Amino acid sequence: MNDNDQKLMEGLRGLAADGPREAPAWLEERLVGELRRQSRVRRRNRWLGVGALAIAAVLAVTVWVRTAPVVPAPTMAHLRTAAAVKTVEPPQTTPKPAVQSAAYERGAEVAINFYPLPDADDLPPIESATIVRVQLPMSSLRLMGLPVSDDRAAESIQADMLLGQDGLARGVRFVQ
Amino acid sequence: MSNSLTNGDGDLLRLISRGDEIAFLAFYRRYQRPVYRFALQMSGQPEIAEEVTQDVFMLVMGSAKKYDPKRGSIPAYLYGVARNFVLRRLEQERPYLTALDDPESEYADVAADGQDALADLTRNERVDSLRKAVLALPPAYREVVVLCDLHELDYAEVASALDCAVGTIRSRLHRARALLAEKMRAEERCAV
Repeated sequence: MNDNDQKLMEGLRGLAADGPREAPAWLEERLVGELRRQSRVRRRNRWLGVGALAIAAVLAVTVWVRTAPVVPAPTMAHLRTAAAVKTVEPPQTTPKPAVQSAAYERGAEVAINFYPLPDADDLPPIESATIVRVQLPMSSLRLMGLPVSDDRAAESIQADMLLGQDGLARGVRFVQ
Repeated sequence: MSNSLTNGDGDLLRLISRGDEIAFLAFYRRYQRPVYRFALQMSGQPEIAEEVTQDVFMLVMGSAKKYDPKRGSIPAYLYGVARNFVLRRLEQERPYLTALDDPESEYADVAADGQDALADLTRNERVDSLRKAVLALPPAYREVVVLCDLHELDYAEVASALDCAVGTIRSRLHRARALLAEKMRAEERCAV
């Protein structure tokens, strides 16, 4: 290495050590803000996916119910009575008006009455019922004819699905 | 910058792909300095360096799980991404040397800090003129000088970052140093 080369290497070492050493602090804040925004979007998309699946499941059940053989029409009063307990015997008397589940009344959460699913009346009468707790997107409230603003449509809500002895959904209620 | 892929980096990238803020901060704080300095040394403009640093880490945020360790270390990957962003920006921007002549530029401030002492002034002048000479090199030569001589990466690492053969890096570096030495000699002759 000759003298010129040595001078050049010394100069390059000086240049390497010179100048600002790191990015400004605001850049870190901006990037963290962007990461948070992306996380929110990712969470929302995940919920949208779950919601879409739930709606698809509800719709699939509904379509299947529509195509099921026609049997003597039960009344939705059966449905409301069945909502009170996880498993009930066939209704023997005139059903009571819709009331909140006693089991839920004892707990902290408040459950409203079951909404019958479209064409649930066409299904066989409920002999025994099972309640399944699920998460549904708020947008599914629209299926029940309830108003839901667009900005809350992606949020989720807990719901109980009422299934009959044949595993078909008869109704849904939203837990507040 | 560490020249080897550490286990910590892989874990951090996995966590970043899930949106983990703490992991991202750890990764950012580990690598923002070399990325920022590389972009600044390549462009000569703090604004471009800031934008490039931001773009590089945004890309990491969005595609952390796509990183393939077989294709090179994380530093090489980051330098490679930064280099692509810098070159794209330089194509859009006005000639970078005008920024160095701008008294408001960050480099100008740094140079002005040392004006009290004659020795510092001489040194700063030398560093400043070398910086200008580096910035005046064609990008293909500039990037090897910045990575090999200013960031002290080995040839293999630079070849991985720039996606070319080690022999190409060696020959470009040789040529770039010759150009710089020639430029410095010419400046010395002018000064005399």
